[in-house]
Amino acid sequence: MNAAHPDKPPLSAPKSPPTRLHNWLITLSLLAVATLLASFFFCIMDNPTSNISLVYILAVFLVARFTSGYGYGLFASFFGVACVNFLFTFPFFKLNFTLTGYPITFVAMFTISSITSAITSNMKKQAQILSDREKILMEAEKEKMRANLLRAISHDLRTPLTSIIGSSTVYLENGANLTESQKSDLIRHILEDSNWLLNMVENLLSVTRINNVTAKVNKSSEPVEEVISEAVIRLKKRLPDAKINVKVPDDFLMIPMDAVLIEQVLINLMENAIVHSKSSEPVECSVDVSQSFVTFRVRDYGIGIPPEKLSTIFDGSSSTTSTATDGRKGMGIGLSICKTIISAHGGEIKAINHTHGAEFYFSLPKEDIKIDS
Amino acid sequence: MTHKLSILLIEDEKNICDFISTSLSAQDYRVTTAHTGQEALPVITSQCPDLILLDLGLPDMDGMEIIRQVRTWASIPIIVISARTQEQEKVRALDLGADDYLTKPIGTSELLARIRTALRHSNRLNTDSPLYKRPFHARELTIDFEKHLVTLAGQEVHLTQIEFKIISLLAQNSGRVMTYDSIISNIWGPYADDDNSILRVNMAHIRRKLEQNPAEPQYIFTEIGIGYRMIEDEMHS
Repeated sequence: MNAAHPDKPPLSAPKSPPTRLHNWLITLSLLAVATLLASFFFCIMDNPTSNISLVYILAVFLVARFTSGYGYGLFASFFGVACVNFLFTFPFFKLNFTLTGYPITFVAMFTISSITSAITSNMKKQAQILSDREKILMEAEKEKMRANLLRAISHDLRTPLTSIIGSSTVYLENGANLTESQKSDLIRHILEDSNWLLNMVENLLSVTRINNVTAKVNKSSEPVEEVISEAVIRLKKRLPDAKINVKVPDDFLMIPMDAVLIEQVLINLMENAIVHSKSSEPVECSVDVSQSFVTFRVRDYGIGIPPEKLSTIFDGSSSTTSTATDGRKGMGIGLSICKTIISAHGGEIKAINHTHGAEFYFSLPKEDIKIDS
Repeated sequence: MTHKLSILLIEDEKNICDFISTSLSAQDYRVTTAHTGQEALPVITSQCPDLILLDLGLPDMDGMEIIRQVRTWASIPIIVISARTQEQEKVRALDLGADDYLTKPIGTSELLARIRTALRHSNRLNTDSPLYKRPFHARELTIDFEKHLVTLAGQEVHLTQIEFKIISLLAQNSGRVMTYDSIISNIWGPYADDDNSILRVNMAHIRRKLEQNPAEPQYIFTEIGIGYRMIEDEMHS
């Protein structure tokens, strides 16, 4: 997780290399179009001078609007005045600035161009400042999330570690006075807590598969049934008594995803359902398909989620505020990691209560929507 | 067992070394340990262990290098132990000739099962494989390689030619993971398309014919990002 700057795209002048050529192209083509239009008016009208001036003024305005810097606008206005003078007013093909009114046209065009340029570059600067500020805010938000996550993690890791260290110290220091069953209890607690730690670490590690810069994942087409079946098998290795009913559509279905991450999400959700539902009913894991999304559901028949928690359940903060009523640790982090993973896939994750318990569901887009190329 | 099977454990973490060699010794294997690659290579050439357990992250050299060197002259089964959860690493080790892999942390029962499988497969290779001809049997499933017959609880299962080839390949390597690439080049030849979706689709068909619930398979397991593993043959000879 490298901090700030590498993931900051070059905001200032997004297309910096082609700018100059680009500006010249815009200027020259606009002037060419204006000159064509002017010659057209010149041919068909009796007294076209005012129209011709207007056409050039428009061109100057547009040039000033669509180029960066004053130079191009000034060049355009100078070119416009010269053109009108040279091509479209008597004496033709001669520069003559002594005609009445010319200074005024001249001044007007210069003024328009410089004011427009000033306004547009000001506008661009404003936009730049705004987006910079937004960027900084987002960056700060990210930092805050990172700090929160770190705090939550350290808090959650300390608990099982304390228990592991405590149990092993007791075993080593008082081994002689302990009964066999006390000893095996201590060891079993060590095993349980270290398994929990491992699970947490795997969760955290999985997040590193998400690209830091784009917050996207490497997707490949994976069969939905294989991902679910592996998730179930891995979970049952850890919780051999887990009861899970799996239903997948009959049709073979492959969708783009990072299978390892989606597996992690499924495991987290199923484990949550098993551990927190306080119910011996099997957890149901099912998949349904709509036009453009595939939705995975993990549903339990237990106590449900406290309504006041529903809105913040994926924030990762629920464990730090220690309202974790049942004393289980780490649920918050697991769920916030789920959310991170699903968001990185361009999907959505939600939690709801149904009449007999809780349901978590997330949907993934069927086709890889190209958000950025 | 008349003579103890020998296992060389190459692992730099002393604690892990200790617990693995303790549990293996308890199962009547003779365990030699090496903490670095430089230490390990001469041991392999001089003692010719029956099996090598290899940690990929060694301090002095890449574990892949050991696989490469050993495979130039011997077919000793190698089981890779890796803390790396990156699938590509595992696939690379398997494609270089490792027989199987285990991801840390390792459960002892899993470790022992993998060791037994790897040893059995290496025996089959050595005895010039009349065993390959023996039908595969696990739970309700029987595969008769000679008769091209697959039965599930006594009922014949109709598979296409390709499906039968895939399932035979997996059955002959039962208990071992087969990478997507190795299956594809075995079935479709070495110039087959890299895209493995044709294999995935065929596998989905097979699963629908063999498994009661394709999402809770009993016979063919997926190792996401790596390949497939068939349930162990029950007729240990």
